[in-house]
Amino acid sequence: MSSQPNRQQTLSSREKFIASANKGKILSNKCLKCGHIMVGTIYYCERCHGSELQSTELEGSGKVVTYTIQAVAPEGFNEVGKSYAWVVFRLDNTELKVSGILIGIKSPADLPLGSKVKVESFDPKYGLKLQKLQ
Amino acid sequence: MTNRVCVLGAGSTRYGKLDENIIEIALAASRDAISSAGISPGDIQAGYISNVFGVTDKQVHMAPVIMSNLGIPYVPGLTIESACGSGSIMFREAYANIAAGFYDCVLALGVEKITHTGTIQSTTLFSYCSDFFYEGGNGASFPGLFASIARNYMATHKANEEDLAYVAVKNHENGILNPKAHVRKEITVDDVLKSPVVASPLKLYDCCPFSDGASAVILCNEAFAKKSNRQYVEVIGSGRGASPAAVQGRDDITTIPSTVNAANQAYKMAGITPKDIDFAEVHDCFTIAEIIDIEDLGFFQKGTAARAVREGATRRNGEIPINPSGGLKSKGHPIGATGVGQVVEVFEQFTGKAGERTVKNGEIALTHNFGATGASAAVHIFKKVE
Repeated sequence: MSSQPNRQQTLSSREKFIASANKGKILSNKCLKCGHIMVGTIYYCERCHGSELQSTELEGSGKVVTYTIQAVAPEGFNEVGKSYAWVVFRLDNTELKVSGILIGIKSPADLPLGSKVKVESFDPKYGLKLQKLQ
Repeated sequence: MTNRVCVLGAGSTRYGKLDENIIEIALAASRDAISSAGISPGDIQAGYISNVFGVTDKQVHMAPVIMSNLGIPYVPGLTIESACGSGSIMFREAYANIAAGFYDCVLALGVEKITHTGTIQSTTLFSYCSDFFYEGGNGASFPGLFASIARNYMATHKANEEDLAYVAVKNHENGILNPKAHVRKEITVDDVLKSPVVASPLKLYDCCPFSDGASAVILCNEAFAKKSNRQYVEVIGSGRGASPAAVQGRDDITTIPSTVNAANQAYKMAGITPKDIDFAEVHDCFTIAEIIDIEDLGFFQKGTAARAVREGATRRNGEIPINPSGGLKSKGHPIGATGVGQVVEVFEQFTGKAGERTVKNGEIALTHNFGATGASAAVHIFKKVE
């Protein structure tokens, strides 16, 4: 019998969030007391403060709520420079909003509000990477 | 029963690109405040210092360095950081310690030096003030975060880019009268709309500048203030609030819960309503922020501020003058100092030192300042004492 701990169980909440994103999913926590759904990196229910949370991977697809395209990017984003949008999107069938980076967007005309996007991966350089759906 | 708290003196450096070391900037404002209050450094029983990026000028643990250089090395100091809201949040702690009776007289000083780092580094450093895992780490800058808020606001409340431009024009109109303002330049709506896009839909003139500067006030209890035989201003309301750190965590992106909660506390403590405020200094880091602030502070119904600004309601002679100092937009935004600078403006307005930008018949004023996209905020209300 192995004495090695199960790596999956020792992941921090952020590591688990990243692992889910790499499968195209968003890790969420559902409060078993009040039913509130929040991102999986929050440790206690932000509504009722309950500690019993059910971790669930939600499909990483949703609609753009808002976004921006920046002329000056922070360090580390120079390579994608002026051709990405920082996006807040609402996951389908939930009220949960998540933010990420959508590379290849150069003008607001490329991304009307309500556009469909989905999680592609968690990029070590760029964070939560999104893909635009047609 | 808590003690009444008063502002007995105030001082500020010019805001802008300053060549001096951060400690020299801090000391200049402190000396002005001490002189304005007519006290000696020996009267100061504690120092509260707000700063964010001291590390870029090779100084953290700033409070004891400042106290030592004021000749009071055995007086305790505390350095506080809350991003762009550091000044008002530090002011609240200074206020609370006087109110609680721990001290009779303290120095509340905010200081920042950032312009030596350049645009890309400054943009990066500011992004560390966001919820980095969800925002800065995904490529969001601060102009970008507020641009996202602006896009959502415009879509929700049918406002447009021209509405935002009116905020910038009004604040520059005020800032031109402020000798310590960073950007003293008259601009038109057309200038704003034609300025380069920084983060769509925000353009250069929708954004405050990166500024260096320091502002300081002397806070004391009422007995100390009365004994001084000098003009002073009373703090009659104080509130603190918080919001989800990341924009994604907010149910409604067009309101900032920390502002609403802090304002409600401050109004309740002062026993007044928004209608009683004669003018306000609010956190206009970007034009959209001022639109949202003045709704969240209760001056206008949600979704109506843009129209009110267009109609002149927030100009110096309007229904509720907003940012007579020029605000962050024109006066500048040295982030550790900004919240204190707002109190300096109130002190100058109420003690006859505001010159041409004086708001007529002003007796009650409000200051509002927040950190990041409003993750933390403080609101204070002040009363002129005759």
